[in-house]
Amino acid sequence: MEAGTAAGELGWRLWALVPIVLLALAVAVVVSQGDRVVDLVGGAPPPADELDVRRVELRHGEIRALVRNPQREDVTIASVTVDDAIVPFTLDGPATLDRLRSTTVVVPYDWVQDEPLAIGVTTSTGIETTHEIAAAVLTPQPGARGFVGYGLIGLLVGVVPVALGLLWLPSLRRAGAAWLAAFMALTAGLLTFLGVEALFEALELQAGLPPSLGGPGLVLLGLAASALGMTFLSVRLTKGRVGASGLALALLVAIGIGVHNLGEGLAIGTSFATGELQLGAFLVIGFMIHNVTEGLGIAAPATRARVTLVQLAALALIAGAPAILGTWIGGYATNDVLTPLFFALAAGAALQVVVEVGRYVARTAPGGLRSGWAVGGYLAGIAAMWATGLLVG
Amino acid sequence: MAKLTRRRLLCATAPFAAAPLGVKLALGGEAEAARHDHAAHRTAASHRGSVASGHAAMIGEGAPAVGGPNDLDALLHPPKPLAHRPGRAREYTLVARDVELEIAPGVFFPAWTYNGTVPGPVIRATEDDLLRVRFVNAGAHPHTIHFHGIHPTNMDGVFEIVGPGQELTYEFPARPAGFHVYHCHATPLKQHIHPGLYGAFIVDPKEAREPARELVMVMNGYDTDGDGENNFYTVNGRTFYYARYPIRARKGELVRIYLANLTEFDLVNSFHLHADFFRYQPTGTGEHWEYTDTVMQCQGQRGVLELRFAHAGTFMFHAHQSEFTELGWMGYFQVEE
Repeated sequence: MEAGTAAGELGWRLWALVPIVLLALAVAVVVSQGDRVVDLVGGAPPPADELDVRRVELRHGEIRALVRNPQREDVTIASVTVDDAIVPFTLDGPATLDRLRSTTVVVPYDWVQDEPLAIGVTTSTGIETTHEIAAAVLTPQPGARGFVGYGLIGLLVGVVPVALGLLWLPSLRRAGAAWLAAFMALTAGLLTFLGVEALFEALELQAGLPPSLGGPGLVLLGLAASALGMTFLSVRLTKGRVGASGLALALLVAIGIGVHNLGEGLAIGTSFATGELQLGAFLVIGFMIHNVTEGLGIAAPATRARVTLVQLAALALIAGAPAILGTWIGGYATNDVLTPLFFALAAGAALQVVVEVGRYVARTAPGGLRSGWAVGGYLAGIAAMWATGLLVG
Repeated sequence: MAKLTRRRLLCATAPFAAAPLGVKLALGGEAEAARHDHAAHRTAASHRGSVASGHAAMIGEGAPAVGGPNDLDALLHPPKPLAHRPGRAREYTLVARDVELEIAPGVFFPAWTYNGTVPGPVIRATEDDLLRVRFVNAGAHPHTIHFHGIHPTNMDGVFEIVGPGQELTYEFPARPAGFHVYHCHATPLKQHIHPGLYGAFIVDPKEAREPARELVMVMNGYDTDGDGENNFYTVNGRTFYYARYPIRARKGELVRIYLANLTEFDLVNSFHLHADFFRYQPTGTGEHWEYTDTVMQCQGQRGVLELRFAHAGTFMFHAHQSEFTELGWMGYFQVEE
């Protein structure tokens, strides 16, 4: 009887394979007969034959465009134009691209500094994909000078403002419980702002990708992965107790902000490298002021904890240094898939930390979450980020 | 102290200096190393050499044109003119066919043609000849042939639509003397003319023109992506064809060019000759000749150019609209002593 039940169990488990086997068979049938099935409902339209221009690099006397075939059908590159003029070109790869395959189009071209540039790639069916560059600037190539430059920009927009914001810690220590609750709520507010901003950015960037490479699902994946990852981390840090506080909460906030700054650095690096952004001193200053608030957000939860100077420095690096890494990747690498994913991760992390901070405020604030201190602080956090955000818009 | 800090910073970053390249290799899928191996000329448009660039590189082998040296001879060289003899029959057969033509290297255009080429064949008659054009529609859509000229309106190719599989013979006396065009007049017009249903129609005058090296050039454009703007421009149907295979002529001999514009979507097209002048007779009629090096024609306009090259050498000709020139409408005369 026992053995019979066990065999029955095994049988039902093996049954789980049946749908998979049948699916494989059905797929095989459709693969061999698929066109006939489709023909029953009419002819399919011709492929769009549009290409996806992933990155354009401008070098001295040369344009290099990395293009990808985003569609299921093969695409053959036949002709290349620059500013509506047919130009000689070479391909750094095959002329016929299968699905999602990329190749680099190399055009010897004497482009003009700071002027707009339109690069057109025409397929064998005559469909032209045009990529416009707002202002032609030399694409930085990996080199010690540019490397240090990008690093410094990352340092200025990431580490420096966060570290400055952390210097509010001694003042916060002298604040009363109500004020502290307000500052914690402010942290939650600014993280909400960052989360929403990152989510919006991620959705916008994924919309520019070919549908075959993700869509909103890619953003959801990043969002869920980072939110759950942060929850896991939070449980680890608090050793199973519900709700993080003190240094653990400060660390969570720092990580949330750090992931966001990675995305921000990436966006800055990419935009600058591709000539879409004028990275003037004003913009760097704007980002600095914008991000000082982030330091305050990390300092607030650490107010009642004992924190060493080394720990503070570590928090500043965790929150700020990813901006440096981001500008490097953005400046030198093709990251059209990476950037929306990073922003989605940032959104998930920030929004999860909002929950953590919210719990903390609910526990510690006089009057709880509904007190004027908490509500006011939260709104102030959002308002502060919005106002300083005007400097970088 | 500042110097020390800077040096320390550089030392600290040195180990990371290779990182971006690594990231690039992993993410871009285009290995920098492989780039050097394959930087060779895998291209539709091969280079003449590393020195030449711009139009200097757009001659002979360097010009991105399709096909062999004599492919377009039937379109460039008109049939021989015949002496005036009223009532003589001149017979042509034009078959409308849908064919895919390679108009630029690797670029295929689904053309609607008369006899398989864009433009269609050159039709030539002498004034007062009885022109008899048998039109067979082997295409998938209804078409006609509308000749410019003087003829009965039932021979005008407007009302007598010829359906797929049907045929019609147009019959009328060739007049007036001049240089004309023909094209499909089924509607929508743009849809029927732009894919290639047009060609040159020469009516020789009673008193024959002076013998010359005669050339026909029909200017056109192709909107390959259907956005109502041309992506390529040519004479006689292929981009940069006469840049790849310059037209030969001899210094001092009379060269006569029958020039017509059948470019759709753009208001005008033009012809500009370098390093010499020509005389231009609008529509190939009348006594008025203009002495110039640039003429402009709207769609359907045409005229006759005559010149004797004063020098031997390589003479560029092209549309004097820079965009058209650089999208394929450019060529050369190679003039020998």
